[in-house]
Amino acid sequence: MAISLAKGGNVNLSKEAPGLNKIVVGLGWDARATDGAAFDLDASAFLVKLDGKVRSDNDFCFYNNKVVADGAVQHAGDNLTGAGEGDDETVKVELAKIPADLDKVVFAVTIHDAEARKQNFGQVSHAYIRVVNEDGGQEIARYDLSEDASIETAMIFGEIYRVGADWKFKAVGQGFAGGLGPLASSFGVNV
Amino acid sequence: MEIAKGQRLPLSALITDGPASDFQVGLQISGMGAAVDFACFGLDAQQKLSDERYMIFYNQAKSPCGGIELSAPAGDNAGFLCRLDRLPASIDHLVFTAAVDGSALMRQLQSGYLRFLAAGREHARFAFTGADFQDEKALMLGDIYRKDGTWRFSASGQGFNGGLAALVKHFGGEVADEAPSSASPTSKLSLEKKIAATAPKLVDLAKKVSVSLEKHRLTETIARVGLVLDASGSMYAQYDKGKVQEVIERLLPLAVHFDDDGELDVWAFSQRVLALPAATMGNYSDYIKEADYGWRNWGMMSTNNEPAVIENVIQQYRESVLPVLVIFISDGGVSKNKEIQRLLTDAARLPIFWQFVGIGGRNYGVLEKLDTMTDRLVDNCGFFALDDLHSVSEQALYDRLLSEFPLWLKEARQKGILR
Repeated sequence: MAISLAKGGNVNLSKEAPGLNKIVVGLGWDARATDGAAFDLDASAFLVKLDGKVRSDNDFCFYNNKVVADGAVQHAGDNLTGAGEGDDETVKVELAKIPADLDKVVFAVTIHDAEARKQNFGQVSHAYIRVVNEDGGQEIARYDLSEDASIETAMIFGEIYRVGADWKFKAVGQGFAGGLGPLASSFGVNV
Repeated sequence: MEIAKGQRLPLSALITDGPASDFQVGLQISGMGAAVDFACFGLDAQQKLSDERYMIFYNQAKSPCGGIELSAPAGDNAGFLCRLDRLPASIDHLVFTAAVDGSALMRQLQSGYLRFLAAGREHARFAFTGADFQDEKALMLGDIYRKDGTWRFSASGQGFNGGLAALVKHFGGEVADEAPSSASPTSKLSLEKKIAATAPKLVDLAKKVSVSLEKHRLTETIARVGLVLDASGSMYAQYDKGKVQEVIERLLPLAVHFDDDGELDVWAFSQRVLALPAATMGNYSDYIKEADYGWRNWGMMSTNNEPAVIENVIQQYRESVLPVLVIFISDGGVSKNKEIQRLLTDAARLPIFWQFVGIGGRNYGVLEKLDTMTDRLVDNCGFFALDDLHSVSEQALYDRLLSEFPLWLKEARQKGILR
């Protein structure tokens, strides 16, 4: 049974699933039931050092830069509408391959073209992030954001980070004004 | 407190003093130029309307538990009293909706809001404009819902291009006769009964309308009715003395009889044009004083620009599948003759009949000649002038208002303008 986290909550992934190495981080939301432009949500991952910044622009994993850190983090591609069962976007992470000078992988979701489409997370239903053990497909942790998502157009859903030899996952649920560009800048990416 | 579209927050953050379970929701949409129907849907945890007694609107004013009750705060188009503690556990969501008929689209609205009132004052407001929407004809404006033992609010602001039918379908309801604005000829109540139920003051007028309708063989006709009010400076005294209010009171029974939704679409014009909230049996009695903050706040009372309002009315009704009777009140001083003539000649191919009524003025310009204007597909205009509304009996007024409309109906059907 997966651990359901509330905003700010965390779980030690390595303790929940001993020997954990390959994980799939799944992000999902409901397709739009009402009329209007579809909600096109884009997942991205930032591999950051202890100071919270990327080493280089190449540590920013998104739909145009799908494989980073020698394959430690891989983006599975973009789903444009949120249609279909299960995760809408997935990012695969191989924990053992994450370079030692990186401390954290931050998972964010932005709404594509939010300003022009006048959309924000408050209109998106059932947004979540979950961490699945790729070996066996067991869901380890899940964070349902729907009540914490509001007028933002970019959100940090969650992050995995090192604690000694272990990896933990934290449900962040923090909004960020301005979309993907400013979000990337805040992690030291040159956009 | 201002609530932004998409915002989600606990009700206790909106209503800070007193219990957050007893409050009134006020709903307003201005400048639509079309009737707006408001409703509150009480939905189950799957967000479905599993109990149709929980669709609260003008035909079903109260939920069985008394937890939701139709009740508009002063100054609002519509509203609901909410006593959340009375709701059964099966009701998980209260969704407040707005829907329009005809060709109107939500992006055309000028301004609107959903607001929370408690203990006699406003606590929070979700304001929106047409720029927030696109081609929707029905909107879910807000959603009050249970979450982990508390009630929360979400300013959803999303909807359906398919209007009320699509909305009801979304909630899993049957789209049949109970959809509020699908009045069919067979379901049409008699005019007097309809009015007696909601606006007893108008019963006497309703009887007179009925006589005129019989006379002109219009009892089975369904049409939309629009009213255009001259609000130029020379009309000041007419507004001030309540004469324009009397126009509303006299014309509402006509609209109630003809109209598909029993409402009178109203425009005021001077230099600019103002589409007012529809006049209904619920708001008619103080309409001129109260609608859109009252006539003194309409920003009118300058020169008269008839072409602008004619264009606005055409825009509203050009796609109408029902015939439209537009009653156009003017006190004269008409100067833009060429433009008016061109607009009305072009409009002859549309399902709109224009009945111009001159009141207490002079120099009606082209309006007086509309009847005899040539080069039109059909004669789509009528005109008569009165020194004063009171110079004719009510019966005579209705007779005159309805004398040319049936002729146009017949001709427009023959020419294929109407189906």
